[in-house]
This record gives sequence, structure tokens and C-alpha cells, in this order.
Amino acid sequence: MNPDLYILWAAAIATLGVYTILYRENPISRLFEHIFVGLSAGYLIVATWTLNLEGKWWNPMIHDKKWYWIFAPIVGSLFYFIYSRRLGWLARLIMGLFFGTAAGTFFRQFFPIYSPQIYACFKPLDYQAGMGIQGVIFDLLLHNWIFVIILLTVMSYFFFSIPHEGRFGRNLGRSAMLGRWFLMIAFGAMFGNTVMARISLFIGRMQFLLKDWLGSLIPWFATRGL
Amino acid sequence: MSAPRPTTVSDRIQQIPRHYVYLLLAGVVVWQLLFPIRLPITPSVPTRGVYDAVAAVPDDKLIIITTDWDASTQAETGPQTQAVIHACFQNHKKFVIMNLQPPMGVKLAQDLAEEAAQEYGAVYGVDYANWGYKYGYENVLMAMAKNIPNAIGDDFYGKPVGELPLMQGVEDIQAIGLVVIVTGLSAMTEMWVGLIQGPYRTPLAGAYTAVMAPIYYPYLDSDQLKGMLVGAKGAAELEAMVDRPGKAVAIMNVQSWAHVLIIALILLGNLGYLFARGRGEGSQP
Repeated sequence: MNPDLYILWAAAIATLGVYTILYRENPISRLFEHIFVGLSAGYLIVATWTLNLEGKWWNPMIHDKKWYWIFAPIVGSLFYFIYSRRLGWLARLIMGLFFGTAAGTFFRQFFPIYSPQIYACFKPLDYQAGMGIQGVIFDLLLHNWIFVIILLTVMSYFFFSIPHEGRFGRNLGRSAMLGRWFLMIAFGAMFGNTVMARISLFIGRMQFLLKDWLGSLIPWFATRGL
Repeated sequence: MSAPRPTTVSDRIQQIPRHYVYLLLAGVVVWQLLFPIRLPITPSVPTRGVYDAVAAVPDDKLIIITTDWDASTQAETGPQTQAVIHACFQNHKKFVIMNLQPPMGVKLAQDLAEEAAQEYGAVYGVDYANWGYKYGYENVLMAMAKNIPNAIGDDFYGKPVGELPLMQGVEDIQAIGLVVIVTGLSAMTEMWVGLIQGPYRTPLAGAYTAVMAPIYYPYLDSDQLKGMLVGAKGAAELEAMVDRPGKAVAIMNVQSWAHVLIIALILLGNLGYLFARGRGEGSQP
């Protein structure tokens, strides 16, 4: 039997096994779920060794006589001193190093990520500003006005320092209410995307079951426009 | 304690057993996969942005396709990667595949690249390459910015990347004309924007699962991303643009009919609720 056929059948049985969860919680779906997690973990270990550690740590240390690489696992193993009450401070050394590095990297990333987005919020709202764009003046202005109105009303929703009383407060309350509606519309659109993503994954599996698996048994399925 | 048995039509509508909903959905999906009623696909502005960004890369620069995805999101990210690869080959752009997490992404993408390479007569190492899975997240990117051959080391097959013909003249991030981030994981784009696009002005484009795509629209607006593929929809649009209708086009066709079913079920549930409320049977959905 062709080895690819074994793989095909294993994948089909695993897919059907996992989907038994749709009926109810059962040992078969659990079994295949655990196999999937185990395979992923196993693959991660092998790939980390073959694609990273072997070439960048083991070979230089053993074959290129870069003996100082021996200190890398020694320093890394300091993490395990967390289990020792007496020597736990050693684990804090390496954790402190990692926290410091992570904080430094995050600070470095923060401005390049967010400052262009803040800058992009300042959109032109006048007719002149739209003149430079060919043929889309109305679209651009409408887009900019909608953007700015939503931005301001949503921000006012998160402004809690002024009670919604008095003339200004009542108007702020109206703006906040409008902002709340815009937020709900945005969340609805995001949830719609979530539904789309989940159904895409399901359709992908059905494509596999019908075209690849059933198609290998009954050629008619393989010829359909999948 | 089990729920009381529905006695009226409006109750029945509101309490359709979930197994029936699953069966209906599966039925629609199978029906449309086997007997498709084709619907038109029009590329959106974000998708056109991805294609234009690929086409605009100078010939002496490389495109990096980061494949930070695995089997769990393959239905969306697989066709996205495939469509981007076709766009690269059709525009005669050299590209490399790499990923930071999870490691399966480079293997799955390599299969797609080999399949497409056969069609275009492209050669591994000359027209495209696979830098493999590189562990280290931000550290890999910061090292790549300064010295790519050192940071990457060996390719997917264990060969030093410096020995590949397409790596001639590739020293640091200035040799990269575009990074296309195909991912099912959040935080990958933030890393590339914060450490590569921001400081070095390397153009980026994204391809995301539909769940995570809404987060990245502000990046499009601020021009931090040149374009974006949104789930299977984006993949289908790019497949249409490169004239290679494949899995994503089929998915979106089925998807549209599945959405019709879901909308009909939502309307039905709400009608049942309104009828029940009209008869004064309380406000329980």
C-alpha cells in the first residue's frame, strides 16, 4: 500500500474523530485531540533541534571548537533553581535578565508601532484637502468625516471624569451613547469575521474529506469543483 | 435539570437542537462543495495593496514570506501563502520563506512553493529559498536587521544560506524589498512593525485569519501595512488576481451560502422571540 494512502487515511480518521465532539464530549475526540497536541509538541522539539540548536549551538561547540557555547545551557538551566528554596535566587537572576530584555525590546517597539497610527488619526476634513486625490474627493471626505466622528464619540464613551449632568455633561452623554453604538457595530463586524474564520476552517476540512479522502475511493468526488 | 419541552411554534423555533443546526450547516457545505453555484469575486482595496506591493519590489531585492501558521489555520493561511507565492513568481520576484513560530509553517509552505515552482520552472536557491524556522522572536529580527546570513545561519535543508545563489549581495535588511506576514498568531505583525518597518522603512504586507484581521485595519490606514489579505476571502481575491482559482475560491463560494443559512437562522430565532413576546410569554430568549 502506498505510504501516502496511510497518511490520507490517518488524517481522515483523525478529522472525523475530532468532529465527534459535535455530538457530545467523548473519549474518541479526546484521544485525537491529545494526539494532535502531542504531535505538535514533538515536532516543535525536533524542529528546534534540527533547524536551530544543531546548527547554531551544537556544531560550533563540537566541530568548530567554540567551547564557550557550553555556558549557554548552564546559564539557561538557572531557571530550574526556582524549585530550590535555598538557591531560588539564582532563578531570579536569569528571570530578571529576561524581563529586562523584554521590557527594553517593548519600549523600542512602542513608538514605531503606535505613533504612525496616532498621526494617521489627524485627517483633513476640508474640501481643499481632498483635491489632490483624483476622482475620490467625496469618498475621501466622507470617509474622513465618518472616521473622525466615530473616533471622538468612542473616546467620549471612555471619558468618565465628568458626570452627564448640566448642558455640557448631557451633550457628552449623548456623544458617549453614540460612541457606544459605534462600538457595538464594530464588535458585531469583528464577530462576523470570527464566524467567517470558523466556517472557513470547517470548509477546509470538508474539502479534504470529500476531495482528497473520498476522492481516493470514488474518483467522482475528486472531479468536483472543490 | 433539563429545559422544559417546547410547546408552541415560537418556542420550537427558539430551541432548535444544536445538532440540527450542525447538520444543516454540514449539508449546505457538502451541497455547495459538490454542486457549486459560482459567485463573482471582486478584489478589495487591501488585497490589491498586497499584489501591488509585490509587483513594486525592485528586482535586486528579496521578498520575505513569513509563514507563522500551522495545520490549525491551514484552510485560510495555506491558500493565502499559495496565492502570494504565485504573485511573486508571476512578477519574477525572488522570495524566501521563513517563520518564527510555529515550526510546521515552513514545511507546509515549502510544499506549496515546490508545487508552484514546478509550474513556473523556478529553481530552489536561485528563484526562491527557505530560511526555515528560527527561534528567538524579536532577537532574530534585530539580528537580521544587521546581518542576515549570520542571523539565519542554515536554510531549511541545513545548508548555509550564504551559499545560496539568490543570497548574493544580501547582507542586511536593506536587501529586503517587502515582508509578507502570513500568520494565524497575534503579536507577529507588531514585532515586524516595531523592529523592522518602523526603524528601517522596509515595506510590510499582512495576511491574517479572519478572526484577527480587524485588529490590523489601523495599520493599513497608517500605511504601516501596504496591503492585507483577510482570511479565506483575501486569499480568494488574490487567487482571482493571479488567475489561479484554487481552494480559497471554493471556500468563499461555500462560505457565502453558509452565511445565508446562518443569517436565516438568526432571523428565525429572533422572529420566534418576537412572537413569544407579542403573546406576553415573558422576555426569555
